[in-house]
Amino acid sequence: MAAPVRAVLAGIRDRVAHGRRPRLRPRNRATARLLTLFAFLGPGLIAANAGNDAGGIATYASVGAKYGYDLLWMMVVITVSLIVVQEMAARMGAVTGKGLAELIREQYGVRWAAFSTAAVLVANLGICISEFVGIGAALGLAHVPRYASVPIAAAVVWLLVVGGSYRLAERVFVLMTIPFFAYPVAAILAHPHWGSVGHAIVAPHVQLTSGYLFLFIATAGTTITPFMQLYVQSAVVERGIGPDELNAERAEVVSGSIFANLVACFIIIATGATLYVHHERNIGTAADAAKALVPFAGRYAEVLFAIGLLGASLLAAAILPVTAAYVISETFGFEKGISRRPRQAPVFVGVITTLIAIGTIVALLPGVPVIGLLVAVQVVNGALLPVTLFFVWRLASNRELMGEHANGRTFNVLAGATVLATSGLSIALIAVTFGGFFGL
Amino acid sequence: MSAVAPPQPRILHLSLVVGGDLVDGGGGRLGEVDDLIVRLGEDEYPPVSGVLATVAGRQVFVPADQIAEVEHGRVTLRTIRLDLKPFERRPQEVLLKGDVLDRQLINVDGARLVRANEIELARLEGWYRVVGVDIGLRGFARRLLPRALARNVGSGTFLDWGSVEPFTGHVPTVRLRVPHPKLARLHPAQLADLVEAASHREGEEIIQAVGHDPELEADLFEELEAGHQVEFLEERTDAEVAAVLARMESDDAADLLGELAEERREQVLDLLPPVQRRRLRALLGFDPATAGGLMSPDFVCVYSQATRDEVLERVRGSGHPAEVLAWVFVMNARRRLGGAVQLADVLRADPALRVGEIAGAAQRVHAEADLEEVARLMTDFDLTVVAVTDEDDRLVGVITVDDVLELVLPKGWRRRFGLFGED
Repeated sequence: MAAPVRAVLAGIRDRVAHGRRPRLRPRNRATARLLTLFAFLGPGLIAANAGNDAGGIATYASVGAKYGYDLLWMMVVITVSLIVVQEMAARMGAVTGKGLAELIREQYGVRWAAFSTAAVLVANLGICISEFVGIGAALGLAHVPRYASVPIAAAVVWLLVVGGSYRLAERVFVLMTIPFFAYPVAAILAHPHWGSVGHAIVAPHVQLTSGYLFLFIATAGTTITPFMQLYVQSAVVERGIGPDELNAERAEVVSGSIFANLVACFIIIATGATLYVHHERNIGTAADAAKALVPFAGRYAEVLFAIGLLGASLLAAAILPVTAAYVISETFGFEKGISRRPRQAPVFVGVITTLIAIGTIVALLPGVPVIGLLVAVQVVNGALLPVTLFFVWRLASNRELMGEHANGRTFNVLAGATVLATSGLSIALIAVTFGGFFGL
Repeated sequence: MSAVAPPQPRILHLSLVVGGDLVDGGGGRLGEVDDLIVRLGEDEYPPVSGVLATVAGRQVFVPADQIAEVEHGRVTLRTIRLDLKPFERRPQEVLLKGDVLDRQLINVDGARLVRANEIELARLEGWYRVVGVDIGLRGFARRLLPRALARNVGSGTFLDWGSVEPFTGHVPTVRLRVPHPKLARLHPAQLADLVEAASHREGEEIIQAVGHDPELEADLFEELEAGHQVEFLEERTDAEVAAVLARMESDDAADLLGELAEERREQVLDLLPPVQRRRLRALLGFDPATAGGLMSPDFVCVYSQATRDEVLERVRGSGHPAEVLAWVFVMNARRRLGGAVQLADVLRADPALRVGEIAGAAQRVHAEADLEEVARLMTDFDLTVVAVTDEDDRLVGVITVDDVLELVLPKGWRRRFGLFGED
């Protein structure tokens, strides 16, 4: 045989580096490096960041405006809890190759699966509506009427999720988290006293007032939401991550959760440094928070805040319908996957389409009681969270299912404590929300 | 979807049998039915080999010979007395509710995965047997509703058990003992689709099930996507990987080798037969994105003076796959590629003629040509096989249309889609 046309080693390196199938033209180095970077930014980052949505930002902004840096220490605790929970879900996805809803059905039967599915559908629909409200509010700050911004945003999100491949969609989702970097910048522009920030993190300042406790519970509720576990597990499965890539995926989940919660911390710092200091302490929505920043932190802070809000709301508006579609398809055994076209997975695509359509319409209806709706969503999510967390915990420690990757003894105790504490908070949130809503 | 009308005997729904009463011959209630046990294997419709029940707080096993009748809400014993035996799993036995219900099954006729919403039983040939699974909404609704209402959900159409193969990898004692004979009805490409759609463990089970036929296993691996090939080869020993590779076609084997980790690649190569090792090493030297990386080194090339019978003898004696033999290549005295002729034309030719006289011009691509060029040439000249040459215009390999088609096929077209997707 004649001498190979190219160096043997170069050929082999090409195969190893790019994996998969041969490409028409080898990628250049820079693109290859960028793609490796993307490999680290995956389901864990997307899931956790979708939590920094309109509702999340409003909550964090309230925390900062009302109590300054007093509640920052809590973000550390919540981050650890989030990591514990998300890691279990991602691990289950990698080891079993099945989504959470699928495992619940196989291990706990049809009724639990149907309950979870119905609850996820309602909860995600509710959050989805609030995302489109958030998109309208964010672009409203730039004087774009919501009757234009919301339908356009909905169309973009729908096309991305339904029209593209999974890899493309995931990359765009990751790109959507770039606006989150606006918050650290906004926080720096607000000139916080960094010494006090550091002190607040290491030396918790706990107040036993109802307002403080309510925000504590609300923050926990918005940072750890059921869709995050469901999404991360299904996305790990769709990405084809196996037990061999478990450590890389773990690292991705941990770094993604930390990034998301750092963003939350910066929101608290930004509002704490401005609104709290200037006694501007009552914030209704995320857009209020952005507007309120103007007098103290300047126009740029407001713009940055709005950009962050837009990115977060778009990301969540894409992730929530996808999660609902995963769950329904897994429970009933329909064909599923973001990379599927409507013809291939009509139910999956149908669920996504329906959620986006309802979200858009409700967000545009004049006179929809947005606050009442958000309260209802919070209650459904609060009721669902203990159920999902319990299943995640039990399933991840099931040796028959997980083999050597089941929770270890120590980790299981930690996980159990996290699940119990988080569930407790989420039940408390329901009680408080009901109480607050009915003025009890 | 192959659904059958319910056969003559009355159909029993598992969800209505389980949870019912266990009663003795005299009609007295002994306990509650927890699960039904069936023996997979020889029978087309697996027979119920026992009942798992809770009697006075203990779980007991009731063998089939003690059972008189199975009805919705009740299993009646032959005798008044019940032997209390603890349940032990016997080979090939599975629990219908515990191991099959709610799990994925392979619908062999559609070559896709389905989920068992309900399991249908009937009394056939004198005994209770599993006759099918309901994958539709009726079965699901029956399970969801409270018992009193569930009774009113009638049977719909269901998948006959004859076209269903359950996964049993998660059942502790059954593993490796239940053959999946129905899988042999599937084409390797369909098996590969199933492996790709299933979870890792289920995929492993499918591969193991076809493992008794090494040729089929190698074909399956050829059809798998690269990521999945590596996933399933990773847990195997180097010798096992070599055994699979040895049966694969050289170009596919080279692609797969290229996916393995570098140190592993050498170890596996060393375990291959010498001829194959040389071939694969040569193929590995080419960039996978070029014609050299796509080609197979298996071809028949003869001198232009060869007679018809000599050519046919070469074809007969070569162990190459049929698709590369559709064309025979002709070289001149300096071993340069001179022409090509279709095997059919050789067969029809006058035996007195030399092959050089019947061969036409050979379309060729350089080993460094990219996929686009290869695909364009094959389309323009309606070729099923194209020659790949080096700088000296010597034939180094051939590319067959199947390998090109696989690469130019849009991604979404590769897999067929299951339930409620493109039926």
